[in-house]
Amino acid sequence: MKTTKVLTFKKKVLENVIDIAEKGTHCGMCRIDFLGTGLCPSGKKHGFLAYWPQGRMELVKHLKDGRIKPTEKLIDIANSCNLCGICDKQCNFVTQLRPEKVASALKEYVNCLDKSEYETVPDDEIIKGLREIVGEEWATNDPIIIASYIRSIIPIDAELNFYIVLPENTEQVSKIIKFANKNNLPFLPRAGGTALSIATPTVLSKAINLDHGIIIDLIRLKKLEIHPENSSAVVGAGITSFELQKAAYKHKLRANVAEAGAHYCANIATTGIITTWGNKYGCFADNFIDLEIVDNEGTIKNHHDIDIPNPYTTDNTFSNISLSPSYIITKATAKLFPVFDDEEAVLVPFDNLKDALDMVLELGKRGIGLSVAVLSYKYLAEFICPTRKIANDFEDICKNYMKLRYVVDVICDKDDKKIVEEMAEYTIDQPFMKTLILGSPKLASLKDSEFMKILSEEENPLKAIFAGPMKKHFEKGLDASPEQMSKVYDKDLQDFFKKIYSKSEMTNVVWLHAFRILPSRLMRQQMTMGPGGAVWASDKKHILKWVDMFADVGNKYKLNHALGFISPFDNGKFVYIEYDYFYDHNNPDIANKISTTLLETTEKSLVLGQIFTLINYLFKGIHRKEHVLYPLPKALSKEEQIMFRDVLHSLLGEFEEW
Amino acid sequence: MVKFLSEEWIEYAKNYILEKLDPEKDMKSITTSILCIIENVPPNDETINLYIELKNGKLNDLQVSIGEISDGKEAVFVIRGNYGTYKDILEGKLGTAMALLKNRLKLKGSRMEILKIIKPIDGLIESLRKVTDEFEK
Ligand SMILES: Cc1cc2nc3c(=O)[nH]c(=O)nc-3n(C[C@H](O)[C@H](O)[C@H](O)COP(=O)(O)OP(=O)(O)OC[C@H]3O[C@@H](n4cnc5c(N)ncnc54)[C@H](O)[C@@H]3O)c2cc1C
Repeated sequence: MKTTKVLTFKKKVLENVIDIAEKGTHCGMCRIDFLGTGLCPSGKKHGFLAYWPQGRMELVKHLKDGRIKPTEKLIDIANSCNLCGICDKQCNFVTQLRPEKVASALKEYVNCLDKSEYETVPDDEIIKGLREIVGEEWATNDPIIIASYIRSIIPIDAELNFYIVLPENTEQVSKIIKFANKNNLPFLPRAGGTALSIATPTVLSKAINLDHGIIIDLIRLKKLEIHPENSSAVVGAGITSFELQKAAYKHKLRANVAEAGAHYCANIATTGIITTWGNKYGCFADNFIDLEIVDNEGTIKNHHDIDIPNPYTTDNTFSNISLSPSYIITKATAKLFPVFDDEEAVLVPFDNLKDALDMVLELGKRGIGLSVAVLSYKYLAEFICPTRKIANDFEDICKNYMKLRYVVDVICDKDDKKIVEEMAEYTIDQPFMKTLILGSPKLASLKDSEFMKILSEEENPLKAIFAGPMKKHFEKGLDASPEQMSKVYDKDLQDFFKKIYSKSEMTNVVWLHAFRILPSRLMRQQMTMGPGGAVWASDKKHILKWVDMFADVGNKYKLNHALGFISPFDNGKFVYIEYDYFYDHNNPDIANKISTTLLETTEKSLVLGQIFTLINYLFKGIHRKEHVLYPLPKALSKEEQIMFRDVLHSLLGEFEEW
Repeated sequence: MVKFLSEEWIEYAKNYILEKLDPEKDMKSITTSILCIIENVPPNDETINLYIELKNGKLNDLQVSIGEISDGKEAVFVIRGNYGTYKDILEGKLGTAMALLKNRLKLKGSRMEILKIIKPIDGLIESLRKVTDEFEK
C-alpha cells in the first residue's frame, strides 16, 4: 500500500512540471550570463548538459515517460542544484518558463527513490579509453546524462547508444577523433546546440544530429584572449558569442557575432556568421585571421600553415551540401572592430517591403551604417516584447493598425545617421525605441482600442505616429517605464525585472544589436525554422519573387510565418534573406509540415536560380565568400530537379511530396 | 553466414547483382567504377579495398584487395571511410548519400556526378545488404 502511494507520488512529481519541461527549446541562454545574475553554479562546475537547466528539463521528460531509468548520477545532478533561482530569471526573460520548478521536482523525485531503483552503468572499453584521454570526470556513458542531449544533438527517437566526452584542449580533441576512428565510431562536436536544436524536430534531424557514437561537447575549450593592439581575439571552441562580445567591449572593440548562446567557432563553421553587421565586418573567411582545426583523421592544422591545401576554396555547385563539419575548429583568431562613441540607432518604418528593400539596397551599396537590415514586424514584436501574448498583440497592432510592417534598422555613426534621416521622411530614433521597448505591454493592450481604430483610419498612420501630431500623445500614453514593464512578470520576479529594465543597456538598441540577447525569444516555447540564403542585390524583382515564394508556401500549409530579415553584404553586392516559420515543436503533425516547407522552399529556390540556399550555406563558413558565392548556381534544369528529388529520397527515405 | 568482404561474400554479391539487378531498369544503364577504401577493419586495423565496375548497368568486375593502394586512379569514384561506416550502410542504418553529405565517407571524384546516379547506387547497396549477414567485431 505504502509502495503504491510512493509510486503515484513519484509519478505526480514529474507530471507536475512536464509542461514546463516540454516547452523548453534548448535556446542555450541559461549557459550565458546575459543578465548579470551569474551562471548556474552546477552547470558551470560539471559542464555536462544534464547539470544545466536546459538539460535537466530534457532529462525529466525522458524519466517521466520511462525511457531512462535512474542511475546514481541522477542523485548528483539533482543535488548539484542549490535552487538559487538564476535559471528562473534568465529563462523568464527569454521564454517566461520557470526551470527551477523542474529542478525542484527532480530533487523531490530523487528523494522518493529507493536505493534498489538505481541502475548501475557498467564501464566498457570505449569509456575507459575516452577517460584515459580526458580524465575520469569528463567522459560518460551514463544514460541519464546522455538523455539530456536529446533534441540538441541526439534525435528524439534514437537509441541512447552514445558516449559523451568533454575535452579540455586541442590535443585531446585530436586523440578522441583518432580513438573514435580506430574503434569505428562516428563522432560529432556539440557547441551551443542552437542550430542542432532547430534541426531536431524536422526532417533534418537524422541528417544533422548524431545517431550513435561519441558526442564531443566543446564547452571546456574556454580560451579567450583579447589583443587590442591588433584588434583581434583568440577564441576557443567553448566560448559563446556573448562571452566574446563582452570581453571585446571592455576594450571598446566589437566582434561580428550572431546568436548570443551560439559558440563563436561553431558559428564560423556552420554559417560563416550571418549578421546585420556583415556589410561592414564581412562574412565567411572575412571573420577570422587564423583557425586551428582538427580534421576528421584527428590531424591538427592551422590555416596559416604554408603546406596545407588551399583552405579557402570550395566547390559551389548546388550539390555541394555538407550536413556535418569535416573538421572541428578548436580555436579561431577573430577580427575585432572599433566601437565608436557616436554610434546610434535609427529605424525607418515602412508599410511595404518594396520601399524598405529599395532603401536597404541603397544603404548597402553606399556602405552606410555599421549594421543594416530590413526587419519585419514579426521580428520587432518578438524581440522587444517580454511575453508571447504581448508580442502577438503588438504584432497585430504593427501590422493592422499602425501599418508598421517593415523597418530599415540601422546602427551607424552620427554622419551616417544624417544621411539616413535625409533619405527617409520620418524615422524612429533611440529614445523612441526605448519608449517602444518599455511601453510594449501598454501598446499591446491598445489592440482593438478606439485610439488604434482612429489611427488606422489615418491616411498615413506611420507618419501620424512617428512624425505627426500624434507622436507626443503616443509616447506619453505608452507609460513606458521599468516599473510598468516589470508588472508583466510573476510577482516574485518583478523587483528583479524592474532593476534589469532600469539598466541602460536593456533599452540601448546599439547594445542589443551587438549582444544579440533578444533573438532567442523567437524560440520561446515554440520552435522556428528560417530557410533563406544569399541572392544578388542587383535584381530586386528576383528578391521580391523569392520572398513571395516563401510566403506562398507558408500560406499553403497554413503556417505562422513572416519575413525575418534582409541584410546587405559585400558592399551591397548580395543580400542574405531569412524567412521564418514558427511552430509547436511538440506537435509532430506541424513539424512534418515544417519539414515539407523546408524541402519545398529549398527546391523552389533552386529552381528560381541565382540563389545560394541555407542548405548550401551549411559548413562553408571557413571558406572565402568569393569562392562560396561567385558565381551563384544557375536555375536547376528539369533533369537536375529529378536528381534533387532522388537525392532527397536517398537521404530521407519516404517523405511527403508537394 | 556470409561475412562482409569474405571470399564467399564476393561470390554471393557477384551472383546476386548479376541475377537480380536489371541493368536497364535498376541500374539505369550506367557505366562507372567505384573504389571503396575501407579503413580500420577489425581485428587487425587493416585497410581493405572493394572495387566495383559497371558497364551499361551490368556488373563487369567486383574485387577485394588488402592494404593501401594509391587511391585507385582508374576508378571514377574513390570513396574512403571506416569499417563502422560501411557496416552502418550495409546494415541499413545509414544511406550512402547521407554518409557522403555527413562526411562519414570521403569522395574523390565529382559529387554532382555521383549524386546523379544515387538511385542505382542505392539499388546496388541494397543488394549487397541482402547478401551480408556477418561483420567483423
Ligand atoms: C534564434 C536563433 C537565431 C539565429 N540567428 C543566426 C544568425 O543571425 N546568424 C547565423 O549565422 N546563425 C544564426 N543562428 C543559427 C545558429 O546560431 C548558428 O548556426 C550557430 O553556428 C550555431 O552555433 P552553436 O554553438 O549553437 O552550434 P551547435 O548547434 O552546437 O552546432 C551546430 C553544428 O556545428 C557543428 N560544430 C559545433 N562546434 C563546432 C566547431 N567548433 N567546429 C566545427 N563544427 C562545429 C556541430 O557538430 C553542428 O553540426 C540562429 C539560431 C537561433 C536559434
